[in-house]
Amino acid sequence: MTREEILAGIRTRFGEDIIDFFDKSPKRVYIEIRPEAIVRVGTYIFSDLGARFNTASGVDSRTTIEILYHFTLEDINLLISIRVKLDRSQPEIDSLTPCLEAANWVEREMHELLGIDFRGHPDLRRLLLPDQWPEGVYPLRQDYQEWDEEAVRDRGV
Amino acid sequence: MDIRLKALLKSLWVYHLSTGSCNNCDIEVLDCLTPRYDIERFGMLPAGSIKHADLLLITGSCNRQSVARMKRLYEQVPRPCFVVAIGECALSRGMFIHSYNCPQPLDRIIPVDVYIPGCPPKPEAIIAGMVKLLEKVKKK
Repeated sequence: MTREEILAGIRTRFGEDIIDFFDKSPKRVYIEIRPEAIVRVGTYIFSDLGARFNTASGVDSRTTIEILYHFTLEDINLLISIRVKLDRSQPEIDSLTPCLEAANWVEREMHELLGIDFRGHPDLRRLLLPDQWPEGVYPLRQDYQEWDEEAVRDRGV
Repeated sequence: MDIRLKALLKSLWVYHLSTGSCNNCDIEVLDCLTPRYDIERFGMLPAGSIKHADLLLITGSCNRQSVARMKRLYEQVPRPCFVVAIGECALSRGMFIHSYNCPQPLDRIIPVDVYIPGCPPKPEAIIAGMVKLLEKVKKK
């Protein structure tokens, strides 16, 4: 399939779920969708189109928490980034892990660093943070405050 | 001079530990071991196990997860041992000083004998630091 056929297919299939469609360059497309549709869109791009799931990235942009799921279609050299915007007070989204095993660790990482709750994730333990890190403190949130009283933040000169 | 220190002077075996570095300091440490810089002329060889080492080379910004491992390694070095901090991150955490994951600099956690600044330090700087360490040991 060509690039145009694939993008037209996504548009017709998920017309009501797509909020914004940004064709940035020949190699890059950003598609903003409603958070409820992520499992349907993700499995379609992964299983039916045969894309590779690169990674997902979470950003706290003060007004919303965004997740970008990056998929690559290697035979036509196209990077599709699926963007979802979540409510900052209670960020929740369905987990992609049951249908896409590669999302497991990156969802655990976003859960601990940004506090996003992935519904249906089989094993939402901590991935990178140490055990003594307090519950409910998310270091990559914009409103993160220092909690460690022993931390030294000057160079001693 | 203590006989153990005297024996140490000609054959300092080093153990290289990265506590979350960007790998540049580690590459420079490896360069020191190549024939071009040849740090082996001071008797320094990389040791595969911490229990064979006399010298702990530490690079990186001491993040929370690796500090626990570093303390465990430091407890296992046969005494007398020396600690060398290599690179700006190990000295003062460099650009990561405000990071949530790097709460304390290396010398607040374990005693450090020689500091080698630089980002990354050149192999020449590392050799100069090692010579200073040897002179420090001779004076003891």
